[in-house]
Parts: sequence; structure tokens; C-alpha cells
Amino acid sequence: MILIKCPYCGQRDQSEFANGGEAHVIRPKNPESLSDKDWGEYVFYRNNPKGIFYERWVHSHGCKKWFNAVRNTSTDQILKVYKVNEKRPDLSDFENTLKSPSGEPLVGSGNFAVKK
Amino acid sequence: MSAINNKCEYISKKQIKIIFDGKTYEAYEGDTIASALLRNNIRLVGRSFKYHRPRGIYTCGIEEPNALVQIISEHNEPNTRATIKRVYDGMEITSQNRWPSLRYDLGAINNILSPIFSAGFYYKTFMGPKGFWKNLYEPLIRRSAGLGKPPKNFRSKSTHQYHNTDVVIIGAGLSGLAAAKKFINTKYKVLLIEQDSYLGGVLKNSNKVKTINDLTPQEWINETEELILNSKNINILKNTLVTTYNFTNHLIALEDKFAGKKIDLNKSELTLHKIRTSNTIIANGHIERFISFRNNDLPGVMLASSFEKYIHRYGVVPEKEPVIFTNNSSSLSLLKTLISLGCKPKAYVDSRKKDNIETEIKKILKDKEIQFFSDAEIEGCDGNKKVETITIRQGKSFTKLKSSMLCVSGGYNPDIHLFTQSKGLVKWDKNILSFKPDTPFQKTITLGSTSGNYSFKKLCDEINEKLSIFKTKKVSLDINLNVPNKFSIKELWETKKKSNSNWSKSFIDLHNDVTTKDLKQAITEGFDRIEHLKRYTTNSMGTDQGKISSINSLAIVSKMLKKEISEVGTTTYRPPYAPLSFAAIAGRSTYEFYDPERKTSIHSWHLKNNAVFEDVGQWKRPWYFKASENETMHQAVQRESKMLRENAGILDGSTLGKIEIKGRDALEFMNLMYTNAFSKMKPMTSRYAMMLGEDGMIKDDGIICKISDQHFIATTTSSGAPKVLADMEEYLQTEWPHLQVYLNSITEQFSTFNISGPKTREIMMKVFPDIDFSNDAFPFMTFKNFDYKETKIRIMRASFTGELGYEIYIPPKFGLELWEEIFSCGKEFNLIPYGTETMHLLRAEKGYIVIGQETDGTVTPIDLNYNWMIGKNKKDFIGKRSLSRPDTSREDRKQLVGLSPINKKDIIEEGQHIVELNELPKKIINPIKYLGHVSSGYHSPNLNHSIGLAMIRGGKNLLGQKFFVTATGKTKNIPVEIVNPVFIDPENKRLTS
Ligand SMILES: [Zn+2]
Repeated sequence: MILIKCPYCGQRDQSEFANGGEAHVIRPKNPESLSDKDWGEYVFYRNNPKGIFYERWVHSHGCKKWFNAVRNTSTDQILKVYKVNEKRPDLSDFENTLKSPSGEPLVGSGNFAVKK
Repeated sequence: MSAINNKCEYISKKQIKIIFDGKTYEAYEGDTIASALLRNNIRLVGRSFKYHRPRGIYTCGIEEPNALVQIISEHNEPNTRATIKRVYDGMEITSQNRWPSLRYDLGAINNILSPIFSAGFYYKTFMGPKGFWKNLYEPLIRRSAGLGKPPKNFRSKSTHQYHNTDVVIIGAGLSGLAAAKKFINTKYKVLLIEQDSYLGGVLKNSNKVKTINDLTPQEWINETEELILNSKNINILKNTLVTTYNFTNHLIALEDKFAGKKIDLNKSELTLHKIRTSNTIIANGHIERFISFRNNDLPGVMLASSFEKYIHRYGVVPEKEPVIFTNNSSSLSLLKTLISLGCKPKAYVDSRKKDNIETEIKKILKDKEIQFFSDAEIEGCDGNKKVETITIRQGKSFTKLKSSMLCVSGGYNPDIHLFTQSKGLVKWDKNILSFKPDTPFQKTITLGSTSGNYSFKKLCDEINEKLSIFKTKKVSLDINLNVPNKFSIKELWETKKKSNSNWSKSFIDLHNDVTTKDLKQAITEGFDRIEHLKRYTTNSMGTDQGKISSINSLAIVSKMLKKEISEVGTTTYRPPYAPLSFAAIAGRSTYEFYDPERKTSIHSWHLKNNAVFEDVGQWKRPWYFKASENETMHQAVQRESKMLRENAGILDGSTLGKIEIKGRDALEFMNLMYTNAFSKMKPMTSRYAMMLGEDGMIKDDGIICKISDQHFIATTTSSGAPKVLADMEEYLQTEWPHLQVYLNSITEQFSTFNISGPKTREIMMKVFPDIDFSNDAFPFMTFKNFDYKETKIRIMRASFTGELGYEIYIPPKFGLELWEEIFSCGKEFNLIPYGTETMHLLRAEKGYIVIGQETDGTVTPIDLNYNWMIGKNKKDFIGKRSLSRPDTSREDRKQLVGLSPINKKDIIEEGQHIVELNELPKKIINPIKYLGHVSSGYHSPNLNHSIGLAMIRGGKNLLGQKFFVTATGKTKNIPVEIVNPVFIDPENKRLTS
């Protein structure tokens, strides 16, 4: 259970929030002008990276406000939260953040001992 | 050979009685089940998981793999660790996994049959022939494998408690107490958590420490505990086990409120602590590990430090003349303890070379004339259900000794479970031959033996250094020892076997009955990755998670693979650290507290009038009303449906979701959210509308009332209301923040009644004599507001039954009064109350769909032939673009049709398939062509035959054609005709006149 800092209410337990998938996927202004393929990509395709991910959250059991967060999907660390109308932070801001604890070992499970 | 009772201050003098397998034994208050059994000389306490081998008490703590028992006097609680569960007077316990009795267990034949139970036996053995799994293997395995039986007649009263704190210290042993001392009277809020009912840990379990700051260990513990208790910032939780270390320093700990006491059924027996902390200090020590040798599972084999713990902690000496087998320096403490009690070990077997063995050990052994074997090992032990003879190998010579107990020490593992749960990284330490914490992932500090520091002398510096991040004073610990400060160990995981037989097994996992041979076999078969090997052999997958053996298995596997242990890596340690009762997790969220119940303002009337309720989301809705005691549901629904179409009926529709949409841009917003066009709609009219997903599929439906371009009220399905409101909010906030619109859930602000049937107008005129209900003044799909008594009401002309109908909205406070008024006026017109089942039947006769019944997230409005609802001229609405995608505009999509049986006596069942065959083949070889499914099926009392709504491929073009519907338990299918789904009043005359 992670802690999430709602930009409006402050730090709260994860159970108060709902995840809304990838952020910065903007609904096309004029859907009719899009090809079937482009529209299909908007409706059905989302990124699912291991590592830095820009995603949407809603404080559903709180202020009900939507906001964006930058999460490292391999460590579950929330690196930044920002309001919907705020600028998307640059990927380079998160270069020095902790890598995955599993560190993609060659063998065994999630242990760094393997790599050393 | 009997166990002797030693003086021990932690055990009260109070004698109590416990019952084990039907026999009564004497014990002391403060005993665990295990110490009480050992006190009574009971060695055999259970049968093993797979081979049903006799098993005894192996350890003295949470790590126990063998001594699992069932507590009859506590709701039959199974798989309880006898080594930690405290006894009370009258406690009733049974052994597990044996039949007919512990001493004569028929399942032990599995031991002889063991070649078929070897690694991967579940995957290989029970493959065929067909049908054998379901009828023979599964019932057989279920009866003979596994351990205890599930609890019964049990209602938990467990509670949850939340904590927010600065520091959590896990473990109140020497390190934990010393760390807590640093926080006394500081600004930090500290929680000290101890699994046992006493503080002190290693200080109470062994003889290792002589003095601390010139105090005896007990004096030091008492002094420290008192200081902590007098300090306002530190709380102690005893009998509490930290089971889980989650992200963001979130810990879960389980407190046993009745440790050592009989459960009071009126009180909470368990408390689940949910702790959020800024820093976590793990000081829960180490776990001794065993060594694999021939028959290392025989009752009588026990870990050396556990043996010592029984003496110090419980005052029980399990055996006066045991054989001690060790590969490290720590066993000196057991040796000295036994000598001090006047006991003399039969032999001391040390795998280390003589030169490497501490002088003090050698001196004691010589002085006391104890047989001493250096550079030696235990080859194995033998005996009938207990250790009788022990075979020692020294070089090429073998010595056989008679003793009933063998104390084994294979070294110590830092207890890294919680540290790795926290995602910290561990590394291999050659000096202690184990993994120890390396890089923490969270704000986690490990202290003492948990951190891999086995030196008492270095502990003080370690604490002061690692806790220097806190603004606290330094602690001082001047420790005098009974044992060497320097830890010395020689690598030894498995000893060499002399003889070979099926009975003689060398175990690597006692809990799951995995042998070292199984590991070899799994590697031979290609399972050479540690995570694969674990699952294939089930090694360390028992409820003990291989606490005394998992590192051993890594070492043995690494030897077989000719790799370093650090290259093999560890498997993942997952929460919980020890089994966590479901009752504790559920807490008070059980039975009526599991989910809120929502009741309408008419609920009391429904109760009085024999309503049978249906759960719709959290709502209780009348399903049908029983006219007499013996009326069945079918009879009631048929009666209600017929009566309504003849006279009139009224439904409590208060649960329907209602959302108010207000603001400058409300019209634009509604046009975007719903398929329908609202621009040309006149104020004070209403419209049936649909909401789609961006993929074009129907999400919800309802009636939209337009009060003005700036004010709408939308009704939703009863269970869909929260989701619809949330979706509207999401679009407003994220896609169209420029729209000025405000949303409000007003579901609970109104009681809603749906009254319909041919006599409705007359009833309404009688209830509301001042209102003109004529068709011209009050046409279909319009609504009006009225003053009614001291409140206001809204009446809308709408219908879900196909008959003339009105919906009345009134504040809930006045709801029941109006409902009763309607009934007194409706009496002469034979007005009846009806429930949701009749509503569903009537709407099916009319061909109206229900969200979630006809639709399943793959249905578009076009599939339903509801093209008229789509505002084609609107530039955009949610899902519009998807309706012209090639897949959504396919002609052969499943489409809504009606079904009418050709033989009018046949019954069309909901959920059945629609096929072209009149009869299913006896043996199905090729797939049968499937055309669609029956989404709704009812017996229509008004048509006097069964009807169905169905979703059929290309159904729109199949009108008039004949197909077949499958039927439960029959190969003969029902012939049906595809018809218009509107069975009643297709011209809508009843609705609109
Ligand atoms: Zn918030």
C-alpha cells in the first residue's frame, strides 16, 4: 500500500485513489477526421513501460479530483504529482532515481546478489 | 530418560491441565504447547505432509516446520505452531494428518511408495487415464495430503488498529531494547513490537550473555523495560508479530489478544495493526538452520539453540544426555548450560578441524570426559518413531551411540524475511555463510544478528552508528559473555550417507517433505533455475517458508550446479512472514458489516407487505410480493404481470440513480456525453438516452429530463449511478475543463414511484385531483412540478412496462405517506405493488433492453436497432467515431431479436445457445455452429407462452426464420421463430394515448 500525495489534499493512503491509466493521451478534437487506425490507437493503445510512467490518478474517496503522477513502475515510487493543467515534467528529471530492486537479474529471482 | 523440570522465572508455578489427542497432561501457565508436551516427555506430535512420517518438535519458535497442531478449543483452529502457541487451563489440542491415530497412521504407506511422490509428482503422476483426476486422484490427494482441517462455527471479532509513527522497532531482544533505549524521552514517536509475551529475546533464550553494564541480563531487561514504560514517546506491543513490510514503510502486525488465555467469545481475539512509519528498525534476530543427514526428521532431532531455549525460557530439559552436532562456535553455550545443570551430553560432534575449535570447548569436553569427535559429522540416525541410535562418521570410522535426542546446529541465518519484503537487497557473507542485508530500498535499518553482526561486542558501536541519523544520545553496552565473541563456522549442508533405503531419507524441507534427492532429480530434469526448482519440488513453499532450511537448499543446489551461492541467488521472500488468519484480515467486515445495506423510504411498507428482496448493488429492492404464504416466485410474478396490464401496478423505483447537471455549458456537455441530440428538445420534456464508451459500446442508459439548456436531470441504472457520475466528472476535469458544468448526485434526495397500467390515469386523478392528466395537457415524455401538501413533487409521464405510466419524484421524508395515499386511492382500481422481476418480465414483453442483460460491453446501439437514438448530425459525442469503425459496423454482429417458440409449450431459458441443429449429437466431435444466445427468457402471462430476447449474429436480417435453442439437460433443442423483439403494443398506442 503506497502513499500518494494528492495535489489538493496532501498525502493519503493508496486505497483512497483510483488509477486512470496513461496520462497525456488527449482526446482528438475532431474524431471524424481521424483514420480508423489513428482512432483505434487513441481508443485501444496505451504504453506500459517498466520504469518511468506518466499516469492519471483520481482521489476518488476524497476530493474526487483528477491529477497526474510520475511513477516508477518497477519500484512503485511516485516521483512527482502535478495538476491536470500543469506541464508534463521532463523525462530527464528522473534519470537519477533508484532503479528497479530486481535489476533484471540473469538468474534467480529478484536479488541483486546475483548481479554482484 | 525423562525430561527434567528446571527452575525458570518466566514460567509461573501455577499448574494447569491440557488435553492432547484425548489425554490430559499437566503443564504450567506460561508454557507453549511444545514446552508442555516436552515436559510430559511427548516427542511424537504429528505426521508429515506427504509421506506421513512421524515428526516431533524441531524448534522452539516461529520457524517450526513439524509441530503443527489443531486447537479444538479455539474453533478447531488448524496448523497452529505448537512452539509458539501458549497453553491455558483446559486447552484441547489434537495432532494433524494422521488416521486412525498418531502412532498407527495408515498414510505412512506413502513413505514406502515414495518413488511416486518424488519431485514434480503432482505434475507427472496423476496424468491419466481420462476422468481419473476428477474421480480418483483429486479426492484421494485431498484426503491424504495437507495438514489440519478447517475451522468451523467461527465468527471472528477481530479488529483493526491504525498507527502513524516515527520509528518502529521490530523485535525487543538485546538489539531492539538497546535501540529503544536510545529513543527514551526523545521527540520521536516509537513503537516497539515483540512477538513474545516477554522482552529480552536472546537474553532469555540462552546463556550467551553473562552481564550487561554489570547487571544480569534479567536485571538489565527489567531496568530497560521500566525506562521505556516511563517514557511517554514509546509504546510496546507484546504478543505481536510483524508479518508484512510493504511499500512506503507500511507494516502489518498481528497481535494475539488471548496469548496464554482462553478465548472470550465476546471479545476480539486478534488485532491487526496497520502501521505507517517514517523509519523501520529491524532487530528480530536470526534463525538457526539445520543440516541434512539420513533421517534428519526423526522425532528427537532438534535444533541446538532451540534445545537451549527450552531450558532457559521454559525450564524444560528435553533430554539429559543428548548428542550435540555442530559446525560452528555457538553450541558452546548449550554445552555450558547442560553442564551447569549437572547433565552430561553423550557426545559432542563438531565438523570443524580440531585446531579451529575453541580451546574452551575442548577443555570442557576433556574435563567432563565427554566423547568428542572433531572433523566429524553425523551420518544418520535410526529408531522406531524416535531417535534411538546415532551414527557418527570421523574419517573412515563409524561410531554408533545410543541417545534419544540429537541437537543440531548448522549455523545461523540473519532473519532477512522482512528486509527482503521491503525490497532491500541482500548479499552473501562468507564469514557467517549466509545472506545478510545490503542496500535498503526504504528507510530501513537492521541491527544485531539481523544485520549479520554476530559479535555482541560490536553491537553498541553498530547501534550508535546506524542510529546516528536520529538526534538522540549514545547508548553504552558493556557486555560480558559466556561464549566466544568471534563466530566461527565451517561450511556443511549435507552429510554423506552410508546406507540406502526408502525409509532413509535426507530432508531439505521438513514441512513439505522435500528430500535432497528431490533437488538432484529436479536439476537433472532441467529445473536448474532456483525459482523453477522451488515450484517443481515445492521446496520452502510450506507455511514455514523454509525458515530453517531454504539457505541450505540454495547451498546444496549451488554445489550441484558448480556455482557460487551468490550466483544462484535467493528465491523471493513474500509476505506474510508467518501465516496470517483470514479472520484477522477480515476484521469486523463480516456478515452484516461486510457491505452497507441501502434501503428506500418505503422499506418498512415492503416488509409489512411480504416483499422478497433482491440485492441491486447495495440496495435492497423488492423482487416480488407474496400474496399468500404458499405463493411461489413464479406464481407471484405471473400474477403481478397480468394484474398490471389489466389494471395498474406500482414499483418503488427510488434506487434509480439520479444526477443533476447544471451550468452555463450543460447542454453542450450532455450532447457530448450521450448519443442523443438534446439541442432541439423542448424544456420540461424527457428522452430515453444512452451513454457509450469511447469504443462505441453501451455503458449505461436512462431518462434525461431537460429543465432548460442550463439544467438537466439524468437518471441512470440503479447500480451504474456512481460510475456514470465518475465518468462525467472525469471528462469534465480532464478533457473539457473549459466547460462550466456542475454535477451532483441526487439519488437519495427523492423517493421515486413508477406507476403504470391502463387504470393509472384514474388513480392519479384521484390522488392529485388538481392536476390535469389528460393526454393533451400531459403528453408522453413530459414532466411537471407541483406543490403537494407542504412539499414539492415532480411527475413525469414515462413507462418501462409499455403501459400508460407516470413517475413521481418526492422528497423521501414524504415518500411513505404519498405511497400509502396512492394505495388507498388505488384500492378500487385493484392497484398492486410489484417488484423487479415483474418489471423485467414486462419490459421484455415490450422489447426494452436492460443494461448488463442484453448488453455486455460488446453491444452498440446499432446492434439493438436503436439507430434513432444516435444524434447523427452531432459533430461529436463519446463513442461516435467508433460506431463507424469497420468492426463496429459489420453486418454480422450479434443483434437484438425476439424469440417465439414454435411449440407454445416450450420454455426458452435465459443463457441458452441458438443453433441450427434440432438435436445435439450424442458425442460432440466437431464444434457446433453457434449463432447467438438468449439474453432474456420469460413466460409471458399476457401472451400465454414463453418469450425470449436474444443476441444473434446478423439477427436483423433473420426475421421469420426458424432456429433452435438448446435446453438444460436435453439433447433435443427447442424450435423457435425469430420475431420482432416488441411483443406487446408495437405501435406504442398504450404509451402515448
Ligand atoms: Zn484530494
